[in-house]
Amino acid sequence: MAVRVQFENNNEVGVFSKLTNAYCLVAIGGSENFYSVFEAELAETIPVVHVSIGGCRIIGRMSVANKNGLLVPSSTTDTELQHIRNSLPDNVKVQRVEERLSALGNVIACNDYVALVHPDLDRDTEEILADTLNVEVFRQTVAGNVLVGSYAALSNRGGLVHPKTTIQDQDELSSLLQVPLVAGTVNRGSEVVAAGMVVNDWCAFCGLDTTSTEISVIESVFKINDGKPTAINSTMRASLIDSMS
Amino acid sequence: MALRTETVKSKIIKIYELDDYEKLIIGIKVAACMLTESHQVVDEASVLKRLNALTLDGPSDGNCCSCCGVGPFESRAQQTAHYKHHWHTHNLKRKLFGKQPLSLGQFNSRQEDSSVSGSESDEEDTSKNPASDLFAAATRHCKAFFTNPKGQVFCIYRCVLHQRKEELSTDGDGTAWVERVQRLALPGFQRWAVLMVSGGHFAGAIFSGGVVVLHKTMHSYVTRRGQGQAQGTRDQHGSAPRSSGASLRRYNQAQFLKHVQDIIASWSEDLIGCSLVLYRAVGSVNQAAIFGKSSPLNRDDLKVRQLPFPTRKPTYKEVQRVHETVASIEVYDTMELFQKALIASTAKTTTKTSSDTTISSTKKTNKASPHKNIDRAKSRERAPRELPTQLISSEDEGPCYIDSETPVGWIKTLSEQSNNRIITNSRKDLLNDCNIGNDASTESDRENKLEKGDNKEQVKKKKKKKEEKPIVSVKKVPEKIPANVKKIWKLISGSELNSLGTIFESWTEGELESACNTQDPTDGNTALHKAAIAEKPEMITQILIAGGNPCIRNNLLQTPYAASPHHETRIAFRMFQAQHPDKYNYAKSQIPGPITPELLEQERERKAEQKRVKRQRDKEKQLEKIKTNKFLQLTDNEKVKAKESRCFLCGSQLPKKPFEYDAYRFCCVRCLQNHRNIRPLHMSA
Repeated sequence: MAVRVQFENNNEVGVFSKLTNAYCLVAIGGSENFYSVFEAELAETIPVVHVSIGGCRIIGRMSVANKNGLLVPSSTTDTELQHIRNSLPDNVKVQRVEERLSALGNVIACNDYVALVHPDLDRDTEEILADTLNVEVFRQTVAGNVLVGSYAALSNRGGLVHPKTTIQDQDELSSLLQVPLVAGTVNRGSEVVAAGMVVNDWCAFCGLDTTSTEISVIESVFKINDGKPTAINSTMRASLIDSMS
Repeated sequence: MALRTETVKSKIIKIYELDDYEKLIIGIKVAACMLTESHQVVDEASVLKRLNALTLDGPSDGNCCSCCGVGPFESRAQQTAHYKHHWHTHNLKRKLFGKQPLSLGQFNSRQEDSSVSGSESDEEDTSKNPASDLFAAATRHCKAFFTNPKGQVFCIYRCVLHQRKEELSTDGDGTAWVERVQRLALPGFQRWAVLMVSGGHFAGAIFSGGVVVLHKTMHSYVTRRGQGQAQGTRDQHGSAPRSSGASLRRYNQAQFLKHVQDIIASWSEDLIGCSLVLYRAVGSVNQAAIFGKSSPLNRDDLKVRQLPFPTRKPTYKEVQRVHETVASIEVYDTMELFQKALIASTAKTTTKTSSDTTISSTKKTNKASPHKNIDRAKSRERAPRELPTQLISSEDEGPCYIDSETPVGWIKTLSEQSNNRIITNSRKDLLNDCNIGNDASTESDRENKLEKGDNKEQVKKKKKKKEEKPIVSVKKVPEKIPANVKKIWKLISGSELNSLGTIFESWTEGELESACNTQDPTDGNTALHKAAIAEKPEMITQILIAGGNPCIRNNLLQTPYAASPHHETRIAFRMFQAQHPDKYNYAKSQIPGPITPELLEQERERKAEQKRVKRQRDKEKQLEKIKTNKFLQLTDNEKVKAKESRCFLCGSQLPKKPFEYDAYRFCCVRCLQNHRNIRPLHMSA
């Protein structure tokens, strides 16, 4: 289910939140509206945590995350890092990196298995990324843009990229990532797709301006219309069917 | 330079010359440089189709790298290996800079030349992506560009075609633009108004087909040049000047505003009939004159547009010039000529202030942005910058104190720098014309003077020895040193104590003073330095009385006081300062301050007291330790029952409220935890 949400009258929800399959980070805002939308959708399955990075609310653009780990820039204070460590599940590795391109969310796009990174990213950061998030790292561009993290929104089931990505590039990227990719927009034509939405394997949040066409594109490419993975239809399913028949 | 001459070769055609204009616009198209690739609108059906195609065929057709021209890959491993190769990254960067990709062979040979930055300037790639450059220049330009079937290219001011807030789509073939251009030839679209208000001047005119129908200018005294620029805003802040000149100006301003509003109101019928109202009014006051109350004009009206270039003082002549400029169309006969002219004009934007290259408007933000054409989405080359050179030279560094603790190496480098003329004059003065460079003879001299030198001095000596090993030590006998001075130095280094006094008595005062202050040419030490280094307080007092100046520095830039770390020696200097506070200028001698015997005594007592207290504390600690050890040797049962209860685990004394469970008491939580770890609950229960 794709949900429309706004952060204090701002549609760029991907800037103020970070969603993974194991946890969700939400910026500390003036009102709790934004947080409560996430909580209502996710609280049963994964923890939703209030976070700031270096005193900033643009956590989605500053950090990069998947279910295995979280990378934060060097501007993160010790207190913030401690808070993040305390609030996230124990198996999530949290790591601070010294990187010249400090807006990690803008320069890295990743799902739980693969990451696309800015061609100029430091080799050390690449290594830390591979170790912490447990991903294969590829240097790539999206539609001639080096800010792959801004122009690509990925999950394990699909991906949305910059609307001007050529079909050839989409094919290449999807063969590299091994998930289907589609070029599209969010927020009534915004091409910074990752800033306009956050997505995991069963849920997506996008800006309030997103049109219904855009929503339906998002739902079909990320395959999120079939509901969240509750225990009933995944692990318990077989036994239930057995016992009922 | 050739480019610039060609820019002139453009024909000018006026929009109001209808015959020419109509001929020109037959079959026009928007120039290719203005158009963007139209991206198809994605909807659910197309996505599903695509997704189906992807899942049915698999990602096989994308199984290659178009950037490097490799593939299709045989296996996933091969594919990932390629994407992680430096070659791929390099080609990726080349692509971003609009260069051709390198083949693997080329890349490898380049790498041998160690130039894999991806940003080197190759001669074959000097024209980097002209198409995107042209697009960037075209979309920011204040004119729009069109072509017609004759191959002519012509430029029309955007303000004639659309308002800044109104965006005409550049996707596809730009039909919206063509429509606007064709509309200009229709009757009724030839009636334009130009209004300009600035600094108390108003000029306005209404043109119909290039002929003035109505015009009006007026001027009023509304700015007082000597008073700075914005007096109107100061009036609003309460601190309005009360002078007669200021009130005159205020009155005039109000009158001017009223008059201009009256003029515009009286023109209202004519203005409504205009297809285009061009205005220039900067600032709220000027805008109020045009758009104020009872004005027929509305700022948000699409036909009301700002002039896209700077203008001169509003006069009738200027209004006519503006109209001519806006209505003129530049016509270039071929595309090549036009492209050259465009690129040349954008390059000159900063220097040129004439009407054809001015305020550039970015399409996206709809705001005038004077920035250069920087594509922020692309990674930029890092400019090679030199590391900052480190020069220890600044005129205002203040006095430089050098103590015996200062490392000799530093001083050496300093003096070397002075030899190499790196250091400025002020620093050279500090060095006191020292020349450590020729210290071949220093070694021997120093050695007999530093017999009792402490550790640091020895370190210095060692250093010197090391450095001077290769130099053949030639003993140079210092010149021009009087015999009596030598005698003093010898006596100082000797073992007798009161020998100086007898010699001093025999000399005259002048002689004595000069003798005391003579510096040893090898290390710059005076008699006072030598006495201090030899740690002879009595001699120091004698020399000071005789006239030895404590402010002279030796080659290591040390004053006599700083030359010796010996306590008694230093006390001698301070005692002397207390006894003779006016004899020398102590400010430069680095002596920390006078001291009297009484003060010295007090100091001593204080230290003795501290020592006593410390000893007592140590004793108590020792006692406590013994007790703790004794307690720890007891068995667990005895520990619990012991008369004096202590921490069960570490045996230290318990706080007022001990941490306890069962019968065990602990000094801190940590002890308790450790104890519990050793003996888990189920065992103790």
